[in-house]
Amino acid sequence: MTQITNDIEFRRAIDGLDYARQRILAGRFVSNVLDLSTDGRIERVVKTTLDAGASADQLTEALKAARSATMDSYTRCGAEGDWKEQAGYFVARAATAAVTPESQSKGGGPAWQAAMSSRMARTSILIDNAEQATSHESEQQYRILAEFLNS
Amino acid sequence: MSASLEKGINALKQQIDAPIATFFSSCVHCGMCAEACLFYTETGDPKYTPINKVEPLRIIWKQEYTLLGRLGKLFGIGETVTDEMLTEWESLVYDSCTMCGRCSMICPVGNDIAYMVRKTREGMAAAGHAPDGLIGASKRAITIGSPMGVKLPALQAQIGHVEKDTGMKIPVDVEGAEYMCLLSSMEIMNFPEYIGAIAKIFDHAGVSWTISSEAFEATNSGIQIGVSEIAAELIQRVVDAAEKLKVKAVISPECGHAYMAIRWEGPNLIGRPYSFKVFHILEVLDQLREQGRLKTRGMEKARLTYHDPCQIARRGGVLEQPRNLINMIAENFVEMPDAGKMNWCCGAGGGVSTNERADEIRLKVFQRKKDQLDEVHAEGLVSACSNCRIYIEEGLEEYHMDIPVLSLTETLAEHLVDK
Repeated sequence: MTQITNDIEFRRAIDGLDYARQRILAGRFVSNVLDLSTDGRIERVVKTTLDAGASADQLTEALKAARSATMDSYTRCGAEGDWKEQAGYFVARAATAAVTPESQSKGGGPAWQAAMSSRMARTSILIDNAEQATSHESEQQYRILAEFLNS
Repeated sequence: MSASLEKGINALKQQIDAPIATFFSSCVHCGMCAEACLFYTETGDPKYTPINKVEPLRIIWKQEYTLLGRLGKLFGIGETVTDEMLTEWESLVYDSCTMCGRCSMICPVGNDIAYMVRKTREGMAAAGHAPDGLIGASKRAITIGSPMGVKLPALQAQIGHVEKDTGMKIPVDVEGAEYMCLLSSMEIMNFPEYIGAIAKIFDHAGVSWTISSEAFEATNSGIQIGVSEIAAELIQRVVDAAEKLKVKAVISPECGHAYMAIRWEGPNLIGRPYSFKVFHILEVLDQLREQGRLKTRGMEKARLTYHDPCQIARRGGVLEQPRNLINMIAENFVEMPDAGKMNWCCGAGGGVSTNERADEIRLKVFQRKKDQLDEVHAEGLVSACSNCRIYIEEGLEEYHMDIPVLSLTETLAEHLVDK
């Protein structure tokens, strides 16, 4: 029974997965923060991400939709930032990372990138919270990864 | 004359200094500046001719400082500035000018038309003719310290994520560090990976650096809206923080106008030289390259091109540095036509992106960037301004172009050899 308790184990376990499995795992991370996005496109992107049999065309379409959602949720320069809305931006980024092809993927790969953006999304909604609530997204991601590895 | 018009005329009159008077006296009405401005070239509408954008200022200059103008004013004849004119010119000055300075480069008599627009903005803002978006950004910059309202806890939260992502400590308020890095709110909100990129690069090169918790914001809304008092106040905050931390230099981030504000306008705005140096991040990275302190691996295979942000390249002089850096990591680098100091603006600088009213014209004039990219069949675009980056992405989507837009600093960080 695999257990993940910190980011070192988390990253090591992710690095041990092939790209296709990382994509599915990334989809699971994004699913966990989907409640922070109001953009219907992201839900569809996640569906494609979680589908192990998704075709190259479906993935390309999903990437296009995710990028478009990311662009639509940027906070424009000089505009008053709303961190609750910004959470949606980070969810869109997480979804984009999940469906980015290997040749264009940034450091850490899709699952790590999606995990980081998902954590930022969760933190975003807490930034303006006077009570300074703590995000437990990383612990949830450890659990998701452990379940994924044990399944 | 209404009170608001009187206020507007007086505000503009106060902007007429020796250079402005000289520029108006020197203008030969050739219209060459029109062809230098993408708002004219992409619309064909003569109202977008750069020198026309300062017409209210010219009328007041003529009335007040020329014999014919003064006689005309005395007899109630000749051109006059009206409320309607100020309203109409507000959109010309703020929506259809990115302060890119290309017109200044073209002018055969050497008029700095961008400076003239800047002075017109000063008068227009004082007269109450500025876009709501820029007014809001300027207020937040003064009261909160960031035009986008980014407070220290938000930066700290993003730093926490970046530290987890990179496994590196992001130094804050470290006295005696060599560099104090500024950030734009755009980076904190939209591109926090920029913080991770500089952390990786500086760790790799053995550079000591810090972020100030008291003045981390680089952007300067005072420059964009055209209110020198606000611009000076924002510069002063950075100067105070840099002097408190006793840093040797301040680094302006991947933001065009922030660099121009802190590097070139700052000392004049606060009325004294700095006790530290100011560099754009690309200048520092290129110095590190030159000193052999950046070791990279692998090359980007895609056909990459570089978009010169106007304030960094044309008005800032940072031209060779990005190319030196790109050549370290890209094997198929191509220059767009007019690259370098005569590059075409993305259409979103100078506060245009802050101004929602300008969205339609901004996307229309993006046609010029599209044409530049088409000509070289670019497969990727690298730049060094987060504002350019976002609005180029938006333009590419509008024109159905699938070209990734990359930050040069972030891309370089990805190519570093592991320590």
